[in-house]
Amino acid sequence: MMAQIGFSLLLVGIMIYAWNEAARAPAVGLVAILTAASGLYFVWFPAEATWLAEQVGIGRGADLILYVWVVISLLVMLNLHLKLRTQMELLTILTREHAIANARPAASAE
Amino acid sequence: MRTRSGTATWVIVPAFNEATTIGRVVAELVRHGYAVVVIDDGSADETGARAAAAGATVVTHAVNLGQGAALQTGICYALRQGADYIVTFDADGQHRVGDIAALLAALPSQHADFALGSRFLGGTVGMPASRRWLLRLATWFTRLTTGLAISDTHNGLRAMTRRGASQVALRQNRMAHASEFLHAVARSGLRYTEVPVTIEYSAHSLAKGHRFGDSLRILLDLSAQRLLR
Repeated sequence: MMAQIGFSLLLVGIMIYAWNEAARAPAVGLVAILTAASGLYFVWFPAEATWLAEQVGIGRGADLILYVWVVISLLVMLNLHLKLRTQMELLTILTREHAIANARPAASAE
Repeated sequence: MRTRSGTATWVIVPAFNEATTIGRVVAELVRHGYAVVVIDDGSADETGARAAAAGATVVTHAVNLGQGAALQTGICYALRQGADYIVTFDADGQHRVGDIAALLAALPSQHADFALGSRFLGGTVGMPASRRWLLRLATWFTRLTTGLAISDTHNGLRAMTRRGASQVALRQNRMAHASEFLHAVARSGLRYTEVPVTIEYSAHSLAKGHRFGDSLRILLDLSAQRLLR
C-alpha cells in the first residue's frame, strides 16, 4: 500500500507538471498526462495491467508499468529539450536587440 | 542608401569566421551601389573589421547563434532602416553580385514579394555530384511539405519586398532556417517567383556547406519546432 501511495503521488506530480507544460508544448503535455494517468490506473489496478500486458504481448503487468515509466521519462527529456529551445529563442532575441542597438554604420552611410 | 528612383535596397550578409572572403564580397557589393549590412555572428577572426573596412554596416552578435539567427537580425535591422527591398547574400563568395539585379527586377515585373534564386534554373560551377543529389532530395521534400513549386532549396541568394520581409520571422537559428524561410513564404500567401542564378563552389564554400548528417539535424529541428506553440 505504501508503494502504491508513493507511486501515485509521483504520477500525480507528473500530471500537474505536464498540465503546466501543455501551454508551451501542447502535444508533449497531452501525451505526458495520458501516460501518467494510465500509469496511475495500473498502480491501483495491477490485474488490469496484467490483462492488458497479455493482450499486447508484453507478458507481465509489471513490465507494462516499467514501459509506461520509460515513456514518461522520455517525454520529460523531450520537454526539457523544448524548454532549452525556448530559452535559446529568448537569448537570441536579447542578443539581436543588443547587436542592432550597437550597430556600426558604414563609413559612407548617409 | 536610396537609389535615384527613391527606393532603398539592403543586402544582408550573415558571416561567421569569414575573414578570408568577406572583404572581397562586401567591396564588390558596395561597388555595385548596394547598402550592405554584415551580421558578424560572433566570429573569432577579423570578419567584422574587414567588413567595416570594405564599406559595410556591421551588426555584431555577442555570441555565435547561427546563420538563421544572423539572417533574421539582418532583416530586422534593414526593416528598421526603412528598406524597401532586402537581398540575402552568402559571405563565402559563392554568389554572383550580378545576379542581384535580376532578382530585384523580378519583384515588380512578376508582381512578387519574394524572388528566390535557383541554381537549377541557372547554373553551378564546381558542384560535387553528391551535393547535387542531396539538394534534389531536399528540394523534393520542401515541395512536398510547403506546396511551393520550386526547383531549388537552401539557396541563400534571394530578394524580397518590405511586405514580404515583414512576414518572415525565423526561429530556426541554424541550418533549418532555409526550410523555415520557404514555409514562411508559403504561409504568407504572397506571390513568389524563381530567378536563375549561378553558384560558384570553392573549397572554402564546400567546407562550410551542408552534409548528409546536417539534413537529419534539419529534420529534427523542424519537427521540434512544430511541438512548440
